[in-house]
Amino acid sequence: MNTNSNVYTVVYSTVIVVIVAAILAFAAQALKPKQDANIKADTISQMLTAAQFASKEDLAKIGNDAVLAEYSKYIKEAFTVNAQGQKVRDLDLASREIADNLHAQNTNLKKGNDLELPVYIFDQNGKPVTVVPVYGAGLWGPVWGYIAFKDDLKTVAGAYFDHESETPGLGAKIKDDPEFRAKFVGKIAAWGSDKVLSILKGASQNNEVDAITGATMTSKGLSGAIETWLNAYKPYFSANATTKNKCNCGEFCPCGEACECDCHCTPGQTQCNCPDCPCENCPTGSHKMEE
Amino acid sequence: MDAKLKETILNPILKGNPITVLVLGICSSLAVTVELKGALVMALSVTIVTGLSCLVLSLLRNTIPNRIRIIVQLVVVAMLVILVDQILKAYSYAIEKQLSVYIGLIITNCIVMGRIEAFALGNKPIPSLLDGLANGAGYGIILIVVAIFRELFGSGTLLGIQIIPEAFYNAGYMNNGLVILPPMALILIGCIIWIQRGIQKDLQEK
Repeated sequence: MNTNSNVYTVVYSTVIVVIVAAILAFAAQALKPKQDANIKADTISQMLTAAQFASKEDLAKIGNDAVLAEYSKYIKEAFTVNAQGQKVRDLDLASREIADNLHAQNTNLKKGNDLELPVYIFDQNGKPVTVVPVYGAGLWGPVWGYIAFKDDLKTVAGAYFDHESETPGLGAKIKDDPEFRAKFVGKIAAWGSDKVLSILKGASQNNEVDAITGATMTSKGLSGAIETWLNAYKPYFSANATTKNKCNCGEFCPCGEACECDCHCTPGQTQCNCPDCPCENCPTGSHKMEE
Repeated sequence: MDAKLKETILNPILKGNPITVLVLGICSSLAVTVELKGALVMALSVTIVTGLSCLVLSLLRNTIPNRIRIIVQLVVVAMLVILVDQILKAYSYAIEKQLSVYIGLIITNCIVMGRIEAFALGNKPIPSLLDGLANGAGYGIILIVVAIFRELFGSGTLLGIQIIPEAFYNAGYMNNGLVILPPMALILIGCIIWIQRGIQKDLQEK
């Protein structure tokens, strides 16, 4: 047969392409459920890590089903909110529904389209921990993560970040360096300000986190991602942030930007340094807050 | 095993190594050698893709119209690369997430196309499969050597496990930032080529 004739060439290429397409379509269909399960378990383990229930490394070892079980154990409420901070719909807890389509949501956010952003509320020893995602551009590709807030909706309980292709050893530290993530714990989101929570060099304020040395662009990108997304969540958080000006001994006062005071409870004291923020449950005895 | 088959397997690993002798596949060897784990997965993926694409194209070699042979090669290689990516995504999600960009770029790895053109299209399927696997292995060995050096001196770890003891850091030892960046991989590969040519004198140009 003449393999160089036009008819043969056309028929040959058509047949090859159809066969290849069929193989790929079959593979994609057959592997999709497993891939989706992986993505979901990965997303959930990022949330659980942010909320400090477990570490991502441990969750990666226990397998998808166990991760989902952990989620069911702690989740209390999950829903989506719009740009006005109103609840749009509840997410199904039984099927562990997640609404994290961060890339598409980020596009909507940038373009000012209708938003539907997920909010996950976990139960930590009876206290709610609210976890929300952030997403944006790093140096080489997207960066994203989850930030967990304590019951006052201002104090950061924890954070977890991930990236697609930041430089290993430098920008990749947002994921790999637990010390960087630990810096977020205890920061107070300034919901009244433009920069709710930022990452910058030489952080000095309560809502600023020190950037990573040698990874300026990644730090900037992540900071932008956090600022943009928390801005979008601002109406929800502002409306729901607790107005209580009392705190327990050993905690930081949740009185926000207006009054940055620590609860320096000393035995018998009922009033802490700041007048807006009286201490509650100050124990008598020798208890003293550790700085 | 007859001598020719042995030559097919051993040549790409030592005397005709794709990276150090043919100087192919340099880009990906710079990109994925920061950490050993990534290098291992990349080495395995390239070996599988090169081996299988050589096998498939060797089986098809007498039917492929000469005018569109490069396109046919590309279609087959692309299919295998996508399959590897999909399988990793289903069974090794964490690694896929880390390597996804580079897995996709296996298709542009010169070693794959180079071996198909140079060997698979003119040889029987079994030797072609072995040639593809051996070239992948030759590529992989260099990748692993470079990755061990870069992870150990760049991050102080191997496969994510801390190797350099804390006491060294306390005594003032610091991880080398240059080792983490791609230029150092190029310098390392240059050194490997230098050493190899020093040992195998017949590789030296007159």
